[in-house]
Amino acid sequence: MKHPGEGTRVGGSLAVSCYRVSFSYPGSEQPALSDVSFELRPGEYVGVVGPNGGGKSTLVRLLNGLLKPDSGRVLVSGRDPSTEPFEVRKHLGILFQDPENGLVAPFVEDDVAFGLENLGVPRQEMRDRVARAIRAVGLEGYERREPGTLSGGEKQRVALAGLLAVEPEILVLDEPTSMLDASGRREVLEYLETLRAEKTVLHVTHHLEELVRSDRILVLNGGELVADKTPERLLSDADLLRENRLVLPVVQRLALELGLPPAKLRTPEELAEAILARTESGTRAG
Amino acid sequence: MRLELRDVRYVYAPGTPFEVEALRGVSLVVEPGEVLGIVGGTGSGKSTLVQHMNLLLTPTSGEVLVDGVDATTLKKSELRRRVGLVFQFPESALFAATVEEDVAFAPRQLALDEKEVRERVLESLRVLGAGELAARSPFALSGGEKRRAAIAGVLAMRPEILVLDEPTAGLDPATREDFLALILGLRNAGISVVLVSHDLDEVAEVADRVCALQEGRVLAVGTPAEVFYRDPSQAPATVRVASLLRESKPEIGAPVPFGETLDALRALRGA
Ligand SMILES: Nc1ncnc2c1ncn2[C@@H]1O[C@H](COP(=O)(O)OP(=O)(O)OP(=O)(O)O)[C@@H](O)[C@H]1O
Ligand SMILES: Nc1ncnc2c1ncn2[C@@H]1O[C@H](COP(=O)(O)OP(=O)(O)OP(=O)(O)O)[C@@H](O)[C@H]1O
Ligand SMILES: [Mg+2]
Ligand SMILES: [Mg+2]
Repeated sequence: MKHPGEGTRVGGSLAVSCYRVSFSYPGSEQPALSDVSFELRPGEYVGVVGPNGGGKSTLVRLLNGLLKPDSGRVLVSGRDPSTEPFEVRKHLGILFQDPENGLVAPFVEDDVAFGLENLGVPRQEMRDRVARAIRAVGLEGYERREPGTLSGGEKQRVALAGLLAVEPEILVLDEPTSMLDASGRREVLEYLETLRAEKTVLHVTHHLEELVRSDRILVLNGGELVADKTPERLLSDADLLRENRLVLPVVQRLALELGLPPAKLRTPEELAEAILARTESGTRAG
Repeated sequence: MRLELRDVRYVYAPGTPFEVEALRGVSLVVEPGEVLGIVGGTGSGKSTLVQHMNLLLTPTSGEVLVDGVDATTLKKSELRRRVGLVFQFPESALFAATVEEDVAFAPRQLALDEKEVRERVLESLRVLGAGELAARSPFALSGGEKRRAAIAGVLAMRPEILVLDEPTAGLDPATREDFLALILGLRNAGISVVLVSHDLDEVAEVADRVCALQEGRVLAVGTPAEVFYRDPSQAPATVRVASLLRESKPEIGAPVPFGETLDALRALRGA
Protein backbone atom coordinates (compact mmCIF):
# COMPACT_ATOMS: atom_id res chain seq x y z
CA MET A 1 0.00 0.00 0.00
CA LYS A 2 1.16 3.49 -0.82
CA HIS A 3 1.63 5.83 2.11
CA PRO A 4 -0.78 8.79 1.76
CA GLY A 5 1.00 11.87 0.49
CA GLU A 6 3.86 9.87 -0.95
CA GLY A 7 2.60 9.81 -4.53
CA THR A 8 2.84 13.57 -4.84
CA ARG A 9 6.57 13.57 -4.59
CA VAL A 10 6.53 12.35 -8.15
CA GLY A 11 3.20 13.38 -9.66
CA GLY A 12 1.47 16.76 -9.29
CA SER A 13 -2.21 16.13 -9.85
CA LEU A 14 -3.24 16.32 -6.19
CA ALA A 15 -4.81 19.48 -4.79
CA VAL A 16 -3.09 19.09 -1.42
CA SER A 17 -0.75 16.54 -0.04
CA CYS A 18 0.80 16.35 3.40
CA TYR A 19 3.50 13.80 3.87
CA ARG A 20 4.68 13.02 7.42
CA VAL A 21 4.26 16.61 8.55
CA SER A 22 5.32 17.57 12.08
CA PHE A 23 5.27 20.98 13.71
CA SER A 24 5.93 22.41 17.19
CA TYR A 25 5.36 26.02 18.20
CA PRO A 26 8.57 27.64 19.46
CA GLY A 27 9.00 27.07 23.17
CA SER A 28 6.31 24.42 23.57
CA GLU A 29 7.09 20.87 24.61
CA GLN A 30 4.19 19.16 22.88
CA PRO A 31 4.16 19.05 19.09
CA ALA A 32 1.02 20.66 17.65
CA LEU A 33 1.17 18.20 14.72
CA SER A 34 3.01 14.86 14.59
CA ASP A 35 3.64 12.86 11.48
CA VAL A 36 0.44 13.82 9.65
CA SER A 37 -0.12 12.45 6.15
CA PHE A 38 -3.17 12.79 3.90
CA GLU A 39 -4.15 13.86 0.38
CA LEU A 40 -6.93 15.92 -1.16
CA ARG A 41 -7.81 15.11 -4.73
CA PRO A 42 -9.15 17.95 -6.88
CA GLY A 43 -12.90 18.37 -6.32
CA GLU A 44 -13.00 16.57 -2.99
CA TYR A 45 -14.92 17.96 -0.02
CA VAL A 46 -13.14 16.92 3.16
CA GLY A 47 -14.03 17.75 6.77
CA VAL A 48 -11.67 18.17 9.72
CA VAL A 49 -12.85 17.64 13.30
CA GLY A 50 -11.35 16.96 16.71
CA PRO A 51 -11.01 18.33 20.21
CA ASN A 52 -9.91 21.86 21.10
CA GLY A 53 -6.16 22.06 20.70
CA GLY A 54 -6.17 19.03 18.39
CA GLY A 55 -4.10 20.77 15.70
CA LYS A 56 -6.77 21.77 13.16
CA SER A 57 -5.86 25.45 12.86
CA THR A 58 -2.16 24.63 12.90
CA LEU A 59 -2.70 22.39 9.90
CA VAL A 60 -4.58 25.21 8.17
CA ARG A 61 -1.66 27.63 8.75
CA LEU A 62 0.79 25.15 7.26
CA LEU A 63 -1.18 24.96 4.04
CA ASN A 64 -0.45 28.53 2.93
CA GLY A 65 3.01 28.89 4.38
CA LEU A 66 2.11 30.96 7.44
CA LEU A 67 3.86 28.21 9.37
CA LYS A 68 6.56 25.91 8.01
CA PRO A 69 6.76 22.24 8.97
CA ASP A 70 9.68 21.13 11.17
CA SER A 71 9.78 17.97 9.11
CA GLY A 72 7.80 16.37 6.34
CA ARG A 73 6.40 18.10 3.31
CA VAL A 74 3.29 20.01 2.27
CA LEU A 75 2.42 20.42 -1.40
CA VAL A 76 -0.44 22.51 -2.78
CA SER A 77 -1.12 21.96 -6.48
CA GLY A 78 2.41 20.62 -6.62
CA ARG A 79 4.01 23.68 -4.96
CA ASP A 80 5.60 23.96 -1.54
CA PRO A 81 3.95 26.72 0.52
CA SER A 82 7.02 27.15 2.69
CA THR A 83 9.12 28.22 -0.33
CA GLU A 84 6.45 29.69 -2.64
CA PRO A 85 3.80 31.11 -0.30
CA PHE A 86 2.59 33.80 -2.70
CA GLU A 87 2.18 31.39 -5.58
CA VAL A 88 0.32 28.95 -3.33
CA ARG A 89 -2.04 31.69 -2.08
CA LYS A 90 -3.31 32.20 -5.64
CA HIS A 91 -4.60 28.65 -5.62
CA LEU A 92 -5.54 28.15 -1.99
CA GLY A 93 -7.59 30.60 0.08
CA ILE A 94 -8.23 30.42 3.80
CA LEU A 95 -11.06 31.64 5.99
CA PHE A 96 -9.41 31.89 9.40
CA GLN A 97 -11.07 30.84 12.63
CA ASP A 98 -11.32 34.22 14.32
CA PRO A 99 -13.44 36.62 12.23
CA GLU A 100 -12.62 39.38 14.70
CA ASN A 101 -8.88 39.42 13.95
CA GLY A 102 -9.01 39.00 10.20
CA LEU A 103 -10.76 42.28 9.42
CA VAL A 104 -8.21 45.04 8.90
CA ALA A 105 -9.41 47.58 6.33
CA PRO A 106 -11.40 50.76 7.09
CA PHE A 107 -14.47 49.72 5.11
CA VAL A 108 -16.16 46.43 4.40
CA GLU A 109 -15.55 46.67 0.64
CA ASP A 110 -11.79 47.21 1.13
CA ASP A 111 -11.67 44.26 3.41
CA VAL A 112 -13.33 42.04 0.84
CA ALA A 113 -10.91 43.35 -1.82
CA PHE A 114 -7.84 42.84 0.36
CA GLY A 115 -6.98 39.34 -0.80
CA LEU A 116 -7.28 40.36 -4.47
CA GLU A 117 -4.77 43.15 -4.22
CA ASN A 118 -1.68 41.01 -4.59
CA LEU A 119 -3.08 38.93 -7.42
CA GLY A 120 -2.73 41.47 -10.23
CA VAL A 121 -6.44 41.43 -11.09
CA PRO A 122 -7.45 44.40 -13.31
CA ARG A 123 -9.34 47.14 -11.43
CA GLN A 124 -12.69 46.72 -13.10
CA GLU A 125 -12.70 42.97 -12.64
CA MET A 126 -11.69 43.48 -9.04
CA ARG A 127 -14.73 45.70 -8.46
CA ASP A 128 -17.02 43.15 -10.10
CA ARG A 129 -15.68 40.31 -8.03
CA VAL A 130 -15.99 42.26 -4.79
CA ALA A 131 -19.58 43.19 -5.59
CA ARG A 132 -20.40 39.60 -6.47
CA ALA A 133 -18.87 38.24 -3.27
CA ILE A 134 -20.70 40.81 -1.13
CA ARG A 135 -23.94 39.78 -2.80
CA ALA A 136 -23.21 36.08 -2.32
CA VAL A 137 -23.02 36.53 1.46
CA GLY A 138 -26.05 38.84 1.63
CA LEU A 139 -24.22 42.01 2.71
CA GLU A 140 -25.40 44.52 0.09
CA GLY A 141 -25.68 47.94 1.69
CA TYR A 142 -22.80 47.21 4.09
CA GLU A 143 -20.01 48.21 1.65
CA ARG A 144 -19.11 51.44 3.46
CA ARG A 145 -19.61 50.17 7.01
CA GLU A 146 -16.59 49.88 9.29
CA PRO A 147 -15.89 46.19 9.96
CA GLY A 148 -15.39 46.90 13.67
CA THR A 149 -19.00 48.01 14.06
CA LEU A 150 -20.55 44.85 12.65
CA SER A 151 -22.33 42.11 14.57
CA GLY A 152 -20.55 38.76 14.99
CA GLY A 153 -22.35 37.05 12.13
CA GLU A 154 -21.89 40.06 9.85
CA LYS A 155 -18.12 39.96 10.50
CA GLN A 156 -18.00 36.30 9.63
CA ARG A 157 -19.84 36.99 6.38
CA VAL A 158 -17.35 39.73 5.45
CA ALA A 159 -14.48 37.31 6.03
CA LEU A 160 -16.19 34.71 3.86
CA ALA A 161 -16.79 37.27 1.09
CA GLY A 162 -13.07 38.07 1.15
CA LEU A 163 -12.29 34.46 0.44
CA LEU A 164 -14.94 34.08 -2.26
CA ALA A 165 -13.69 37.19 -4.10
CA VAL A 166 -10.31 35.52 -4.64
CA GLU A 167 -12.07 32.54 -6.28
CA PRO A 168 -9.31 30.10 -5.34
CA GLU A 169 -9.45 26.50 -6.56
CA ILE A 170 -8.92 25.25 -3.03
CA LEU A 171 -10.97 26.68 -0.18
CA VAL A 172 -9.90 26.09 3.41
CA LEU A 173 -12.55 27.07 5.94
CA ASP A 174 -11.70 27.09 9.66
CA GLU A 175 -15.02 27.05 11.56
CA PRO A 176 -16.77 29.20 8.94
CA THR A 177 -20.23 29.07 10.53
CA SER A 178 -19.39 29.48 14.23
CA MET A 179 -21.17 32.86 14.47
CA LEU A 180 -23.95 32.37 11.92
CA ASP A 181 -27.64 31.87 12.67
CA ALA A 182 -29.44 28.73 11.53
CA SER A 183 -30.47 30.11 8.15
CA GLY A 184 -27.07 31.71 7.51
CA ARG A 185 -25.44 28.40 8.30
CA ARG A 186 -27.72 26.61 5.85
CA GLU A 187 -27.02 29.23 3.17
CA VAL A 188 -23.25 28.88 3.52
CA LEU A 189 -23.45 25.09 3.42
CA GLU A 190 -25.69 25.19 0.36
CA TYR A 191 -23.29 27.60 -1.30
CA LEU A 192 -20.36 25.29 -0.59
CA GLU A 193 -22.45 22.47 -2.00
CA THR A 194 -22.74 24.38 -5.32
CA LEU A 195 -18.93 24.48 -5.50
CA ARG A 196 -18.86 20.72 -5.23
CA ALA A 197 -16.62 19.08 -7.84
CA GLU A 198 -15.57 22.47 -9.19
CA LYS A 199 -13.49 23.39 -6.12
CA THR A 200 -11.59 21.46 -3.50
CA VAL A 201 -12.81 22.17 0.02
CA LEU A 202 -11.25 21.52 3.42
CA HIS A 203 -13.82 22.38 6.09
CA VAL A 204 -12.89 22.51 9.79
CA THR A 205 -15.83 22.42 12.20
CA HIS A 206 -17.11 21.29 15.60
CA HIS A 207 -20.53 20.59 14.07
CA LEU A 208 -20.53 17.10 12.61
CA GLU A 209 -23.96 17.69 11.04
CA GLU A 210 -22.26 20.10 8.61
CA LEU A 211 -20.15 17.25 7.26
CA VAL A 212 -22.71 14.51 6.69
CA ARG A 213 -22.42 15.01 2.92
CA SER A 214 -18.65 15.35 2.78
CA ASP A 215 -16.47 12.82 0.96
CA ARG A 216 -14.21 12.16 3.95
CA ILE A 217 -13.59 13.41 7.46
CA LEU A 218 -10.16 13.76 9.06
CA VAL A 219 -9.96 13.52 12.85
CA LEU A 220 -7.06 15.36 14.54
CA ASN A 221 -6.43 14.76 18.22
CA GLY A 222 -3.32 15.75 20.16
CA GLY A 223 -1.62 16.63 16.87
CA GLU A 224 -2.13 13.18 15.39
CA LEU A 225 -4.33 12.23 12.49
CA VAL A 226 -6.32 9.49 14.20
CA ALA A 227 -8.84 8.83 11.44
CA ASP A 228 -9.52 9.56 7.77
CA LYS A 229 -12.95 8.07 7.07
CA THR A 230 -16.23 8.54 5.26
CA PRO A 231 -18.95 10.30 7.30
CA GLU A 232 -20.97 7.06 7.40
CA ARG A 233 -18.10 5.18 9.00
CA LEU A 234 -17.23 7.93 11.46
CA LEU A 235 -20.84 8.44 12.56
CA SER A 236 -21.30 4.75 13.20
CA ASP A 237 -18.11 4.35 15.23
CA ALA A 238 -19.19 5.19 18.78
CA ASP A 239 -15.77 4.50 20.32
CA LEU A 240 -13.91 6.65 17.84
CA LEU A 241 -16.39 9.49 18.43
CA ARG A 242 -16.06 9.29 22.21
CA GLU A 243 -12.26 9.09 22.20
CA ASN A 244 -12.15 12.28 20.15
CA ARG A 245 -14.64 14.30 22.20
CA LEU A 246 -17.16 14.15 19.36
CA VAL A 247 -20.88 13.87 19.95
CA LEU A 248 -23.38 12.61 17.41
CA PRO A 249 -25.68 15.33 16.06
CA VAL A 250 -29.23 15.35 17.48
CA VAL A 251 -30.87 13.74 14.42
CA GLN A 252 -28.40 10.85 14.38
CA ARG A 253 -28.60 10.41 18.15
CA LEU A 254 -32.41 10.15 17.98
CA ALA A 255 -32.11 7.66 15.11
CA LEU A 256 -29.63 5.53 17.03
CA GLU A 257 -31.81 5.49 20.16
CA LEU A 258 -34.81 4.46 18.05
CA GLY A 259 -32.89 1.64 16.41
CA LEU A 260 -32.73 3.33 13.00
CA PRO A 261 -29.50 3.57 10.98
CA PRO A 262 -27.94 6.90 12.06
CA ALA A 263 -25.55 7.31 9.16
CA LYS A 264 -28.34 7.02 6.56
CA LEU A 265 -30.68 9.58 8.16
CA ARG A 266 -29.02 12.92 7.67
CA THR A 267 -31.78 15.49 8.19
CA PRO A 268 -34.87 15.94 10.40
CA GLU A 269 -36.96 15.32 7.26
CA GLU A 270 -35.28 12.00 6.55
CA LEU A 271 -35.62 10.91 10.16
CA ALA A 272 -39.31 11.88 10.37
CA GLU A 273 -39.99 9.96 7.18
CA ALA A 274 -38.25 6.84 8.48
CA ILE A 275 -40.23 7.00 11.75
CA LEU A 276 -43.50 7.38 9.86
CA ALA A 277 -42.69 4.51 7.53
CA ARG A 278 -41.97 2.31 10.51
CA THR A 279 -45.08 3.23 12.51
CA GLU A 280 -47.19 2.58 9.42
CA SER A 281 -45.74 -0.81 8.68
CA GLY A 282 -46.06 -1.58 12.43
CA THR A 283 -49.75 -0.63 12.37
CA ARG A 284 -50.43 -2.79 9.37
CA ALA A 285 -48.64 -5.76 10.87
CA GLY A 286 -50.36 -5.47 14.24
CA MET B 1 -31.82 39.13 41.67
CA ARG B 2 -34.42 40.18 39.13
CA LEU B 3 -33.30 42.16 36.13
CA GLU B 4 -35.79 44.02 34.01
CA LEU B 5 -35.47 45.93 30.76
CA ARG B 6 -38.32 48.32 30.05
CA ASP B 7 -38.92 49.54 26.52
CA VAL B 8 -35.21 49.80 25.75
CA ARG B 9 -34.18 51.52 22.52
CA TYR B 10 -30.60 51.76 21.40
CA VAL B 11 -29.19 53.69 18.46
CA TYR B 12 -25.56 53.31 17.31
CA ALA B 13 -23.86 56.37 15.80
CA PRO B 14 -26.93 58.60 16.11
CA GLY B 15 -27.10 61.52 13.70
CA THR B 16 -24.49 60.05 11.32
CA PRO B 17 -25.10 58.37 7.96
CA PHE B 18 -24.28 55.09 9.71
CA GLU B 19 -26.99 55.40 12.31
CA VAL B 20 -28.36 51.96 13.25
CA GLU B 21 -31.38 51.48 15.49
CA ALA B 22 -30.33 48.17 16.98
CA LEU B 23 -33.04 47.91 19.66
CA ARG B 24 -36.52 49.26 18.99
CA GLY B 25 -38.34 49.01 22.30
CA VAL B 26 -37.40 45.79 24.06
CA SER B 27 -39.04 44.78 27.34
CA LEU B 28 -37.77 41.65 29.02
CA VAL B 29 -37.34 40.20 32.51
CA VAL B 30 -34.61 37.85 33.74
CA GLU B 31 -36.19 36.04 36.69
CA PRO B 32 -34.05 34.86 39.61
CA GLY B 33 -32.63 31.40 39.06
CA GLU B 34 -33.77 30.87 35.48
CA VAL B 35 -31.93 30.08 32.28
CA LEU B 36 -33.17 32.53 29.66
CA GLY B 37 -32.20 31.69 26.08
CA ILE B 38 -31.91 34.56 23.60
CA VAL B 39 -32.08 33.64 19.94
CA GLY B 40 -32.46 35.55 16.68
CA GLY B 41 -30.85 36.10 13.31
CA THR B 42 -27.55 37.78 12.48
CA GLY B 43 -27.74 41.45 13.44
CA SER B 44 -31.08 41.12 15.26
CA GLY B 45 -29.72 42.92 18.35
CA LYS B 46 -28.76 40.11 20.74
CA SER B 47 -25.28 41.38 21.62
CA THR B 48 -26.57 44.93 21.90
CA LEU B 49 -29.31 43.73 24.24
CA VAL B 50 -27.07 41.78 26.61
CA GLN B 51 -24.60 44.68 26.89
CA HIS B 52 -27.45 46.62 28.49
CA MET B 53 -27.71 44.08 31.28
CA ASN B 54 -24.65 45.47 33.06
CA LEU B 55 -24.92 48.92 31.48
CA LEU B 56 -21.90 48.51 29.28
CA LEU B 57 -24.30 50.25 26.91
CA THR B 58 -26.86 52.66 28.35
CA PRO B 59 -30.24 52.80 26.64
CA THR B 60 -30.93 55.65 24.23
CA SER B 61 -34.34 55.53 25.89
CA GLY B 62 -36.01 53.14 28.31
CA GLU B 63 -34.87 51.70 31.62
CA VAL B 64 -32.85 48.89 33.18
CA LEU B 65 -34.04 47.88 36.66
CA VAL B 66 -32.27 45.70 39.24
CA ASP B 67 -34.73 44.38 41.81
CA GLY B 68 -36.95 47.29 40.87
CA VAL B 69 -34.20 49.91 41.28
CA ASP B 70 -32.97 52.02 38.36
CA ALA B 71 -29.61 50.44 37.51
CA THR B 72 -28.01 53.78 36.58
CA THR B 73 -28.21 54.77 40.26
CA LEU B 74 -26.08 51.77 41.31
CA LYS B 75 -22.30 51.83 41.40
CA LYS B 76 -20.99 50.50 38.09
CA SER B 77 -18.40 48.30 39.77
CA GLU B 78 -21.09 46.79 42.00
CA LEU B 79 -23.38 46.17 39.03
CA ARG B 80 -20.59 44.51 37.03
CA ARG B 81 -19.75 42.24 39.94
CA ARG B 82 -23.35 41.11 40.22
CA VAL B 83 -23.97 40.79 36.47
CA GLY B 84 -21.07 38.94 34.81
CA LEU B 85 -20.88 39.30 31.03
CA VAL B 86 -18.90 37.08 28.69
CA PHE B 87 -18.57 38.81 25.31
CA GLN B 88 -19.18 37.23 21.94
CA PHE B 89 -15.45 37.50 21.13
CA PRO B 90 -13.92 37.22 24.61
CA GLU B 91 -10.55 36.19 23.16
CA SER B 92 -9.76 39.77 22.22
CA ALA B 93 -9.90 40.79 25.89
CA LEU B 94 -7.17 38.36 27.00
CA PHE B 95 -4.07 40.31 28.00
CA ALA B 96 -1.96 38.84 30.83
CA ALA B 97 1.25 36.81 30.65
CA THR B 98 -0.40 33.61 31.85
CA VAL B 99 -3.91 32.22 31.76
CA GLU B 100 -3.98 32.14 35.56
CA GLU B 101 -3.12 35.85 35.79
CA ASP B 102 -5.73 36.66 33.22
CA VAL B 103 -8.49 34.78 35.00
CA ALA B 104 -7.41 36.34 38.33
CA PHE B 105 -7.72 39.90 37.07
CA ALA B 106 -11.45 40.38 37.71
CA PRO B 107 -11.76 38.63 41.09
CA ARG B 108 -8.72 40.58 42.28
CA GLN B 109 -10.79 43.75 42.02
CA LEU B 110 -13.12 42.34 44.67
CA ALA B 111 -10.80 42.87 47.66
CA LEU B 112 -10.55 39.14 48.32
CA ASP B 113 -7.43 37.72 49.90
CA GLU B 114 -4.92 36.24 47.51
CA LYS B 115 -5.64 32.67 48.61
CA GLU B 116 -9.34 33.04 47.85
CA VAL B 117 -8.54 34.56 44.44
CA ARG B 118 -6.29 31.65 43.58
CA GLU B 119 -8.85 29.09 44.70
CA ARG B 120 -11.56 30.69 42.59
CA VAL B 121 -9.27 30.90 39.56
CA LEU B 122 -8.23 27.26 39.70
CA GLU B 123 -11.81 26.15 40.37
CA SER B 124 -13.13 28.12 37.38
CA LEU B 125 -10.46 26.73 35.11
CA ARG B 126 -11.08 23.24 36.38
CA VAL B 127 -14.83 23.24 35.74
CA LEU B 128 -14.08 24.33 32.17
CA GLY B 129 -11.62 21.50 31.69
CA ALA B 130 -8.83 24.06 31.37
CA GLY B 131 -6.84 23.39 34.55
CA GLU B 132 -3.76 22.38 32.60
CA LEU B 133 -3.73 25.71 30.76
CA ALA B 134 -3.10 27.80 33.93
CA ALA B 135 0.60 28.43 33.32
CA ARG B 136 0.33 28.91 29.53
CA SER B 137 0.34 32.23 27.70
CA PRO B 138 -3.22 33.09 26.66
CA PHE B 139 -1.93 34.19 23.25
CA ALA B 140 -0.43 30.79 22.46
CA LEU B 141 -3.68 28.86 22.75
CA SER B 142 -6.06 27.33 20.24
CA GLY B 143 -9.40 29.08 19.59
CA GLY B 144 -11.41 26.89 21.93
CA GLU B 145 -8.77 27.06 24.66
CA LYS B 146 -8.83 30.88 24.57
CA ARG B 147 -12.57 30.85 24.90
CA ARG B 148 -12.42 28.67 28.01
CA ALA B 149 -9.88 31.01 29.61
CA ALA B 150 -12.10 34.01 28.88
CA ILE B 151 -15.21 32.37 30.33
CA ALA B 152 -13.29 31.31 33.45
CA GLY B 153 -12.44 34.97 34.19
CA VAL B 154 -16.11 35.87 34.53
CA LEU B 155 -17.05 32.68 36.39
CA ALA B 156 -14.41 33.48 39.01
CA MET B 157 -16.35 36.68 39.85
CA ARG B 158 -19.24 34.47 41.05
CA PRO B 159 -21.91 36.82 39.67
CA GLU B 160 -25.62 36.59 40.52
CA ILE B 161 -26.50 36.70 36.85
CA LEU B 162 -24.21 35.20 34.27
CA VAL B 163 -24.72 36.64 30.79
CA LEU B 164 -23.11 34.56 28.04
CA ASP B 165 -22.94 35.76 24.43
CA GLU B 166 -22.35 32.72 22.17
CA PRO B 167 -20.22 30.99 24.82
CA THR B 168 -20.02 27.61 23.11
CA ALA B 169 -18.95 28.82 19.66
CA GLY B 170 -15.62 27.10 19.08
CA LEU B 171 -15.89 24.61 21.94
CA ASP B 172 -15.54 20.96 20.98
CA PRO B 173 -18.75 18.92 21.33
CA ALA B 174 -17.85 17.16 24.59
CA THR B 175 -16.71 20.43 26.17
CA ARG B 176 -19.92 22.05 24.99
CA GLU B 177 -21.94 19.32 26.74
CA ASP B 178 -19.93 19.75 29.94
CA PHE B 179 -20.48 23.48 29.74
CA LEU B 180 -24.25 23.06 29.37
CA ALA B 181 -24.22 20.83 32.46
CA LEU B 182 -22.31 23.59 34.25
CA ILE B 183 -25.02 26.11 33.28
CA LEU B 184 -27.68 23.84 34.74
CA GLY B 185 -25.61 23.41 37.91
CA LEU B 186 -25.35 27.19 38.33
CA ARG B 187 -29.08 27.54 37.76
CA ASN B 188 -29.73 24.92 40.43
CA ALA B 189 -27.53 26.92 42.78
CA GLY B 190 -29.83 29.92 42.25
CA ILE B 191 -27.80 31.83 39.68
CA SER B 192 -29.61 33.23 36.65
CA VAL B 193 -28.07 32.55 33.28
CA VAL B 194 -28.75 34.47 30.09
CA LEU B 195 -27.59 32.39 27.14
CA VAL B 196 -27.33 33.98 23.70
CA SER B 197 -26.86 31.23 21.16
CA HIS B 198 -27.23 30.32 17.51
CA ASP B 199 -27.10 26.70 18.48
CA LEU B 200 -30.80 26.08 18.97
CA ASP B 201 -30.13 22.48 19.97
CA GLU B 202 -28.26 23.66 23.04
CA VAL B 203 -30.90 26.26 23.91
CA ALA B 204 -33.44 23.41 23.73
CA GLU B 205 -31.51 21.49 26.39
CA VAL B 206 -31.04 24.17 29.03
CA ALA B 207 -33.45 27.10 28.65
CA ASP B 208 -36.42 27.58 30.99
CA ARG B 209 -37.67 30.39 28.78
CA VAL B 210 -36.68 31.66 25.36
CA CYS B 211 -36.77 35.16 23.89
CA ALA B 212 -36.61 35.45 20.10
CA LEU B 213 -35.43 38.77 18.67
CA GLN B 214 -36.01 40.05 15.17
CA GLU B 215 -34.73 43.38 13.87
CA GLY B 216 -34.40 44.86 17.33
CA ARG B 217 -37.80 43.78 18.62
CA VAL B 218 -39.03 40.88 20.72
CA LEU B 219 -40.68 38.51 18.28
CA ALA B 220 -41.72 35.97 20.90
CA VAL B 221 -40.98 35.16 24.51
CA GLY B 222 -42.19 32.16 26.49
CA THR B 223 -41.43 28.53 27.22
CA PRO B 224 -39.16 26.83 24.68
CA ALA B 225 -42.19 24.94 23.31
CA GLU B 226 -44.22 28.13 22.89
CA VAL B 227 -41.42 29.88 21.03
CA PHE B 228 -40.02 27.05 18.93
CA TYR B 229 -43.29 25.50 17.73
CA ARG B 230 -44.37 28.90 16.32
CA ASP B 231 -41.89 28.50 13.46
CA PRO B 232 -40.32 25.05 13.19
CA SER B 233 -37.98 26.26 10.42
CA GLN B 234 -36.20 28.31 13.12
CA ALA B 235 -36.26 25.54 15.71
CA PRO B 236 -33.94 22.91 17.16
CA ALA B 237 -33.67 19.53 15.42
CA THR B 238 -35.91 17.85 18.02
CA VAL B 239 -38.73 20.28 17.28
CA ARG B 240 -38.23 19.98 13.53
CA VAL B 241 -38.59 16.20 13.71
CA ALA B 242 -41.60 16.31 16.03
CA SER B 243 -43.42 18.99 14.07
CA LEU B 244 -43.02 17.01 10.84
CA LEU B 245 -44.77 14.09 12.54
CA ARG B 246 -47.45 16.12 14.31
CA GLU B 247 -49.84 16.30 11.41
CA SER B 248 -50.37 12.54 11.26
CA LYS B 249 -49.43 11.85 14.90
CA PRO B 250 -50.87 14.65 17.02
CA GLU B 251 -50.31 12.58 20.17
CA ILE B 252 -46.62 13.44 19.93
CA GLY B 253 -47.34 16.78 21.66
CA ALA B 254 -44.72 19.54 21.78
CA PRO B 255 -41.48 18.09 23.14
CA VAL B 256 -38.33 20.24 23.07
CA PRO B 257 -35.40 18.71 25.01
CA PHE B 258 -33.77 15.59 23.63
CA GLY B 259 -34.98 13.22 26.36
CA GLU B 260 -38.61 14.33 26.12
CA THR B 261 -38.54 14.09 22.35
CA LEU B 262 -37.11 10.60 22.45
CA ASP B 263 -39.82 9.49 24.91
CA ALA B 264 -42.53 10.98 22.71
CA LEU B 265 -41.13 9.26 19.62
CA ARG B 266 -40.87 5.93 21.41
CA ALA B 267 -44.46 6.21 22.57
CA LEU B 268 -45.69 6.43 18.98
CA ARG B 269 -47.50 3.26 18.15
CA GLY B 270 -45.16 0.84 16.45
CA ALA B 271 -42.06 3.09 16.55
N1 LIG C 1 0.55 30.55 18.71
C1 LIG C 1 0.73 29.43 19.42
N2 LIG C 1 1.84 29.25 20.18
C2 LIG C 1 2.03 28.14 20.90
N3 LIG C 1 1.17 27.10 20.94
C3 LIG C 1 0.05 27.21 20.20
C4 LIG C 1 -0.23 28.37 19.41
N4 LIG C 1 -1.42 28.19 18.79
C5 LIG C 1 -1.87 26.97 19.18
N5 LIG C 1 -0.99 26.38 20.03
C6 LIG C 1 -1.10 25.04 20.64
O1 LIG C 1 -1.00 24.08 19.59
C7 LIG C 1 -1.96 23.04 19.75
C8 LIG C 1 -2.85 22.95 18.51
O2 LIG C 1 -3.60 24.16 18.41
P1 LIG C 1 -4.60 24.45 17.21
O3 LIG C 1 -4.94 25.90 17.28
O4 LIG C 1 -4.04 23.92 15.97
O5 LIG C 1 -5.84 23.57 17.68
P2 LIG C 1 -7.31 23.44 17.03
O6 LIG C 1 -7.51 22.00 16.70
O7 LIG C 1 -7.48 24.42 15.94
O8 LIG C 1 -8.21 23.79 18.30
P3 LIG C 1 -9.62 24.60 18.41
O9 LIG C 1 -10.70 23.61 18.15
O10 LIG C 1 -9.66 25.02 19.86
O11 LIG C 1 -9.59 25.75 17.46
C9 LIG C 1 -2.68 23.34 21.05
O12 LIG C 1 -2.11 22.59 22.07
C10 LIG C 1 -2.46 24.81 21.28
O13 LIG C 1 -2.43 25.13 22.66
N1 LIG D 1 -20.66 49.66 17.15
C1 LIG D 1 -21.64 49.64 16.25
N2 LIG D 1 -21.87 50.70 15.43
C2 LIG D 1 -22.85 50.68 14.52
N3 LIG D 1 -23.72 49.65 14.35
C3 LIG D 1 -23.54 48.58 15.12
C4 LIG D 1 -22.50 48.50 16.10
N4 LIG D 1 -22.58 47.31 16.72
C5 LIG D 1 -23.61 46.65 16.14
N5 LIG D 1 -24.20 47.41 15.18
C6 LIG D 1 -25.35 47.03 14.34
O1 LIG D 1 -26.47 46.82 15.20
C7 LIG D 1 -27.23 45.69 14.76
C8 LIG D 1 -27.35 44.70 15.90
O2 LIG D 1 -26.05 44.19 16.20
P1 LIG D 1 -25.80 43.08 17.32
O3 LIG D 1 -24.34 42.92 17.43
O4 LIG D 1 -26.56 43.43 18.54
O5 LIG D 1 -26.47 41.81 16.61
P2 LIG D 1 -26.52 40.27 17.06
O6 LIG D 1 -27.96 39.86 17.17
O7 LIG D 1 -25.68 40.07 18.26
O8 LIG D 1 -25.91 39.55 15.77
P3 LIG D 1 -24.94 38.26 15.63
O9 LIG D 1 -25.81 37.06 15.74
O10 LIG D 1 -24.41 38.40 14.24
O11 LIG D 1 -23.88 38.34 16.68
C9 LIG D 1 -26.50 45.14 13.54
O12 LIG D 1 -27.15 45.58 12.38
C10 LIG D 1 -25.11 45.75 13.61
O13 LIG D 1 -24.57 45.99 12.32
MG1 LIG E 1 -8.74 26.07 15.70
MG1 LIG F 1 -23.89 39.08 18.54
